[in-house]
Order: sequence, then structure tokens, then C-alpha cells
Amino acid sequence: MGVVLPLEPIGRNTEKISYSQNETTDLALFVRTSEEDITGWNRQRIVDALLRETFIDPDTAVRISKDVEKTVKSGALKTVTGPLIRELVNARLLELGLEQNRRMHTRLGVPLYDVDQLLVHQNKENANIPHGPEATNLTLAEGIKKEYALLHVFSEDVADAHLKGDIHLHDLGFIDRPYCSGQSLEYIKKFGLNLPHALSLAAPARHPEVLLSHMVKFAAALQSNFAGAIGWDAVNLFFAPYLEDLDDKGVRQLAQMMIFEFSQQAVARGGQAIFSDINIYWEVPRHFVDVPAIGPGGKYTGKTYGEYEKEAQRFAWALFDVYQEGDAAGRPFFFPKPLVHITEKLFITEGHEAFLEHICDVAADKGNTYFVFDRGETAKISECCRLSFKLEARDIEDAKKPWKMRYSALQNVTINLPRLGYRAKGDDATLFDLLTEQIRLAAKGHQQKKAFIEKLMAHGENGPLSLLAMKCDGENYLRLERCSYLVGMVGLNELVKTHLGRELHDSDEAMKFGLQVIAHMNLVCRKMGERFGMKFVLEQTPAESTAYRFAKLDMAHYSEEAAMVVQGNVENNEMYYTNSTLYTAAGEMNPIRRVEREGLFHPLIEAGAITHIWLGEAHPDKNSLKGFVENVFKHTQNDQIAFSPEFTVCLDCGRTMRGLRDDCSYCRSNHVDGITRITGYFTRVSSWNKGKIGELRDRYRNPNQL
Amino acid sequence: MTLFTRNNCKLCKKIKSRFDLSAMEIKIETLTNDNAGALAHLAWHGLVEDARKSLPILVLDDSSPVRNFARIENRLIERSNKLGVPFQSESNIICEGGNCALQ
Ligand SMILES: [Zn+2]
Repeated sequence: MGVVLPLEPIGRNTEKISYSQNETTDLALFVRTSEEDITGWNRQRIVDALLRETFIDPDTAVRISKDVEKTVKSGALKTVTGPLIRELVNARLLELGLEQNRRMHTRLGVPLYDVDQLLVHQNKENANIPHGPEATNLTLAEGIKKEYALLHVFSEDVADAHLKGDIHLHDLGFIDRPYCSGQSLEYIKKFGLNLPHALSLAAPARHPEVLLSHMVKFAAALQSNFAGAIGWDAVNLFFAPYLEDLDDKGVRQLAQMMIFEFSQQAVARGGQAIFSDINIYWEVPRHFVDVPAIGPGGKYTGKTYGEYEKEAQRFAWALFDVYQEGDAAGRPFFFPKPLVHITEKLFITEGHEAFLEHICDVAADKGNTYFVFDRGETAKISECCRLSFKLEARDIEDAKKPWKMRYSALQNVTINLPRLGYRAKGDDATLFDLLTEQIRLAAKGHQQKKAFIEKLMAHGENGPLSLLAMKCDGENYLRLERCSYLVGMVGLNELVKTHLGRELHDSDEAMKFGLQVIAHMNLVCRKMGERFGMKFVLEQTPAESTAYRFAKLDMAHYSEEAAMVVQGNVENNEMYYTNSTLYTAAGEMNPIRRVEREGLFHPLIEAGAITHIWLGEAHPDKNSLKGFVENVFKHTQNDQIAFSPEFTVCLDCGRTMRGLRDDCSYCRSNHVDGITRITGYFTRVSSWNKGKIGELRDRYRNPNQL
Repeated sequence: MTLFTRNNCKLCKKIKSRFDLSAMEIKIETLTNDNAGALAHLAWHGLVEDARKSLPILVLDDSSPVRNFARIENRLIERSNKLGVPFQSESNIICEGGNCALQ
């Protein structure tokens, strides 16, 4: 963002603004003027600011202050504001070739024009943000924090790589928070709701509704401390000890409350619903079977979780009853996203056939169900659009004290793969060198973010990240030493097309080359991780806006090459790159083949991958979906799948229809909106960015192949 | 045929010392931290997770994998006999130290 300076008089108020040393420099330098006199002008303040904020010598500082004073007193300016003086000083620094000092002295802010645009027009970078005063607050704050991050947290090479579009540093507007968090209900079951600086402390819940209210409040508190998703492990199991005295109606009521509470949390940060995930198991996962269960009042019930299978199953079933019904207008719930773990043990657990049918029915009807495949001994916590934390031996050890189970990714950096193809000009060695170089930059960016978060965390419970520094169980809520650092990718399909002339789905050769790129990324991440003592892992970036941003930047800077491979419609700006390692959205292929082939990448992408099956208006039979899911579990490497139907809601009569339509089939109104999955969650199509709209037009639906 | 192996994997070493794999026209893919090609090849066959459990893995010409060590040996004996390539007699080695898997 540039800086626009208001030169028209802001007001007639000639009152001098008081200031102190501790106030921000803009206020300290603030002077207002009547038409003739400059009130409160003090040239020394310019000198003070320069000496405090930059490395400039006192003589130069005085010289600059005199130059600026000359301009200010020349009478050409009707109004002089602090920001304007600062810009005049910066211009002088620039003229004197003192670029480094100018950067240090720069001002972060938002042009008048941009604010005007923001207040009136919707931000479409993230479709989960509605438009309103809270949302514009969020966008404005994000804008400034983003500039701060690029100037002050990251080194110039990392920041430049982001600005040029070689890489994308996600959530820069949330530079002072980790990326996302997956955790256990056991923390609040055991310790109650005991948040730093809260006005009251709540003891561990005694009743299920109270536990739910603690969960929702804690999720909202976490949302204020993380940039992205807030996931909960084995929710149905951890609620189970509270459900023994509830009849089926009561369990159903609780399920309904949970889903409505999360789906209607659009009153939280920036008017943005909490991006929430609930992990659900039909069986009791092996690592929890012998764990003593915590029940009402935070006390051990005397039983193990293995003994709560039936209660957990009742709750899981009821949750899907609610998903199936949808909201009051029959629309699918956007949040919380239900992630059902499909494991070896599921298939030997009583009632699994009926449960699978039930969740497949919901998948066909409303699309909510995510099928997360944990084959063999694998166990994981899933969240966000596809992120998952695979549990290692020490995590399984944590499972004995499940409140310890909390996992966070500190940051996500995505690499623009197609651009590497343009730069390599068909040469393999150059391509892999460039790729290594970009991962190195991403790793450097991760180190810098880590250092910044460490600095904030060092202030402890009285610092800016007090919630993450709380120590109910003796260690920080955010266990920095356990954090992952995500490295994502966008446009593998377009890279391969540039390099080999074929898309991933076109030939085995293209696919094998794609695997080699991802294998290279996997190994380089591992090597850098060993070198820096950090856990760098690949994730399929959701890239809701990054796929669009990279495509646009490449069309501007590598137009000839990009034009050959970019997806969507360039003329109306609806261009995009294919997400991560996915096959082109437009590729016509049998869904099982897509799931199988895309799944070959998944074991290399250890922090999460997904295959989408776009249903369009088709409504497949629940039994065929069930067979499909079993097949995927048993015969592919795929990590996660979701089926996405499309809906139209009529904004006049309020009814919901299957498929994306231009008008309402009941009242014929054309005042309608679409609902379907954008990347990893459902949302209204009207809020999508242009790139995603382009992709939606291209998506190959699988009408009758399931 | 392709044999996926690791350095420092006792079972892999045993196979390599017992059979003349190149004379048997068996491609050896060694999974190291620098060998993206081998890892990609492993992924192409959908065997990354299997390799994390145990190595070596033999992939037959029809792309079907053999994971069980005794069966791998049997397959290789069959092939040696068929091609008339000599091989050494058995020397009971078991995997010690946990190196017989992709890390
Ligand atoms: Zn209508």
C-alpha cells in the first residue's frame, strides 16, 4: 500500500495535541495549523525521531529537520499533519540516498482511497469473512500488520520473494499469531475455563451443556490467538463421560447445540466464523482405549475411554443426524467441519456398516463429511482445509494425558511452482536447483517467524500472547518446540505442463515427473529441518487466494509462458493455477481414478492432502458412496476425500435447491446465491474471488460415476 | 523388477550380498535423503507407507510388490535359477537396530 497525504484542511481545530515520549511517533510529531501559524511546531522532534528510530548521525538529522522546516514554513501547505511531516522527512532521506534509514523511519498506514473502498466493498481474499464494521476493522488491522511483517519481521530477500510472487507467506496480517491449532477437549475438562486476564474463572464443567459452552468460548479465545483453524480431537469420545445420564433426545439436543453454536459464531473476530473442525471416531482409537476418562467436574470417572464406546457412538450418530437436516432453511452447515477417521479398527467395530451408511448419506445429501484415512498404525488430528498432525511416538505417549495433546503449525509458506518452470526453460537441473532455492527461502521465512513468535512468547502470561503462554499443566499452551512449519505448493499441474508439455493426468510420464518434484520437496524439507532443528513438512496449500494471486502475477511478469498454461478465463480475469498437487479441476475422469492417482502424492505430503469429488447437482446413492469410501481406504494411498454437492439458496423465498442455478425454481426470483465447497469448506459463491469463480466454472462434476 | 533398499539396512545388505542383482537385471533403488528419483519411484508404486514399515521391497515386472522378506528371497532364488545366475546360500540375518524401514 502506498501513502496518500491529505492536503486539504482536515479541520479548523488548532488545538495542540499533547504528547509524551511513550506515544507513537506520529502523535509525538503531530502539529496542526491555522491558516497563518503553525501551532506547536518543534523542529527538534524530527531530530529526536530520526535519532531514535534510525542509524543516522546527529548532524544529518539536524540538516534534514531544517530542510523540512523550510518546506513546512514556506506557506505552500495549508495543513500539516504528523504523517505528512514524516513523508517529507522520508523524501529527504531518499534524496540523500539513505534508503536503509528511510525504511526504518517509514510509516505504516492505509491510503484514504483504500479505506473508502474497504468500508464500502467486500474483501474477497477469504470467503469466510463477511462484510461489516468488524470485518473492515480486521482488514485494516491486517493491512498494517502485513506491512509491518514485510518490513520488520522478514528479511528483505524473503519479503521480496513474497511481493514478487515467488513464494507466498500466508496470513501476514496475523504475523503476531501462530497459524493454526489442533487440541483436546481434555484441557478444558480438566482445568476448566481459566483464561489469562478473564473476568471470571470457570471450574471444570459438570454438565454437558456447560462443557459445550466452555468449548465454544475457548475456541473463540483461540481464534483470537491463531490465524487459522481451530480443531478438536475425538470430540464425540471426550464428550462421552458426560452423556451417560442423557437419553437419545438429550444427546440429539446437545449435538444440535454444538453445530449451531459453531456455525453461528459469525459474531467473533472480524465477524468471521471460527474455522472449526471436529474429529470423530466410531471406534475408540487404540491410543485412547486404556486412558482413564475425565468426567463431570474434571474428575476421573474410574473408567477408561474404552468403556465409553457406546456413548461416543450415540453422540457421533446424533451429530450426523443434525448435519443431515441442515440449518433452518435446509442448507448445509459451513462449520464445524466433521472429520471422520476411517481406520482399520473401524471395520472391526460393531455397527460400522450402519454408521458408514449414515455418514455417506450425509455426504451425498449435504456434503459435510470429510473421510480421513488412517491406515495401519497411523493416527492423526485433522483440521483446517486438509491439515493433519500425524501422531508420533511421543504424541501417542501424550495420549495417556490427553490434555497435553495440542499441536500447532506456526506458519505456512507456499511456493509458486509454475514460475520455476518458466525460469528453468525445460532444464531439469535448473528446475530442481530453483526449487531447492525457494524451499530455502521458505525455511528462512519460517525461522524469522519463529524468532518473532518466540520474542512475543518471552513476555509470558503478561505479554501479547498470554493465552498461549498459560501454563495450566505446567508448560505453555503453545509448545513451540513441537510446532510444525508448513511448506505448500501451488500449480504442480501447470509446472509439469510447462516443463513437459503435458498435464498431470495426461500421461504416466507427466505423473512420474510430478512425483519427482514433490519427492524433491519432501527430501529438501527434511534436510533443512535437520539443519535448523525445526519440523518442515509439506502440506497441500488450500491456496484460496494464492492460486489466483500467483496466476495474476505470472500473467503480468511471465506473460508469454504463463498464457500457455494458466487455467480459467484470462479475459475476464478469472484465472488461476490448479491447487497444490491436484489434477486440473476440468479434467474429465472417473472419480476413483482421480482419487487413486492424486493419492499417490499424499504419502509424501505429510501434513495433509485431500481429493475433492465435485458432485454438482448429482445425488449419489449412499451405498455406492459407502462402497467407494471402503475402496479408497483399502486400495489407494489417498489421505482424505470429500464429496461436494452444489446448492442454490433463494434470497427472496428462502428455499434451498440442489445445483447451481440462475433463478429460484420455486418463485423464479433471480435473487439467488450458490453454496458449495471453495477449497476445504462450504461457503457462498458470491463471496468467492475471481480465480475461484473461474475454477468453479471449470470443475468437472461426476454426475453418474459413483 | 526393482528392489527398494536403504543404506545401513541389514536385510537390504543381506539381499545384495547374497544375489548378483545386476546380473539378474534387477534395478536397485536406494532410498537416501538425496535420492528424490528413488522416492518418487517408490511413490509411483504406492509403496511409501509400506516402506516406512519395512524394507526391502521388491516390485515385480507386473508392478505388484513383495514385502515379506522370505518371499522376496524366494522370488530372487527363482529368478536366479531361471537366469542361471549363481547365488550364495542362506546366512540367517535379522534386522537389528531398526534400520530396515524408510525413516
Ligand atoms: Zn425463491
